[in-house]
Amino acid sequence: MTAEALDPLIHVPARLQIMAALATLPAGDQLSFKRLQDMLELTPGNLITHLRKLEEAGYLATTKTGSGPASRTSIALTHDGRHALDVYATTLRGLLNGV
Amino acid sequence: MTTHIGPPSGAPDESRMEPREAARLLAQTQADARRSLDFRAPWVSLVAAAVALVGFGLVWLSVRNQHPFTGPSPASLVVFYGLIAFRIATVIYAYRRARSGISGHSVMAQRNEAVAMGVALSIWYLVLIAIASSAHHSAGFYWSLGLNGTLIALAAIWTGRCAIHRRWREAALTVPVALIAGVGAIAGPRGMWLVNGVGLCLLLLANAALEAWQRRGTPAPTVRASA
Repeated sequence: MTAEALDPLIHVPARLQIMAALATLPAGDQLSFKRLQDMLELTPGNLITHLRKLEEAGYLATTKTGSGPASRTSIALTHDGRHALDVYATTLRGLLNGV
Repeated sequence: MTTHIGPPSGAPDESRMEPREAARLLAQTQADARRSLDFRAPWVSLVAAAVALVGFGLVWLSVRNQHPFTGPSPASLVVFYGLIAFRIATVIYAYRRARSGISGHSVMAQRNEAVAMGVALSIWYLVLIAIASSAHHSAGFYWSLGLNGTLIALAAIWTGRCAIHRRWREAALTVPVALIAGVGAIAGPRGMWLVNGVGLCLLLLANAALEAWQRRGTPAPTVRASA
């Protein structure tokens, strides 16, 4: 098994951090964009770009509430996203154990 | 909270990682996120330990030479309840700071649990009032029932909550609280303030040390994705 076996969408530092941070929340919970940005210390533009890619893959879902300056975006891992991260972690473990 | 989502600034980092680096990043990010989202920080336990020692200690100083026991002085009770209010305020502050930006099922579930625990404690107080009203007792009996009874009830309610969530380390903390209150009841209306103050202070200090130890340093690169 080689590093090519790892999901290329997740195997990027910023996206792995996004997925890992969101995975610590219980299923059904969401995290605000601002809080996620503060936790990962990413620029808004950089975070948005990675979030879009993960959302397009169906790994996470974003919800926007309110409008104008009071709008708020919340992000959560989808069931597929959790599964993809589990598969990624299992593959990674296999690589590290030399399987 | 306002979120301004503008156009992306600069090209995002698409660099790949070595598997070992990825494992380290995954473990580190999850450890950091858990720390950030958990309000049970060591400083919260340290504040609680200081509150227990000072609050119970001041009341003990006001009753230790009373023969017969008439009850704590109003001044010591004002400080005691003020410190309890301060302790509650620090927990609320830590909780709000840790949980800011989180929404969803667990938030609603925690609100429901808080209501359920409030109802359980209210029922317990009705039982205490019924016991206290059943016959005429000394001032020491009422104070012991109110203080030690409350601590035992809180420990029992929290143990139930911990068992539901399978948080066995927290559950292990609640059992000594009930034991300390039990020893306090045996120590009598004067000694119980000292027993509870010192006992709870030591227990909370041990808990703070354990929390600090669990939070310290970078975790080993063990690969685990699930929350």
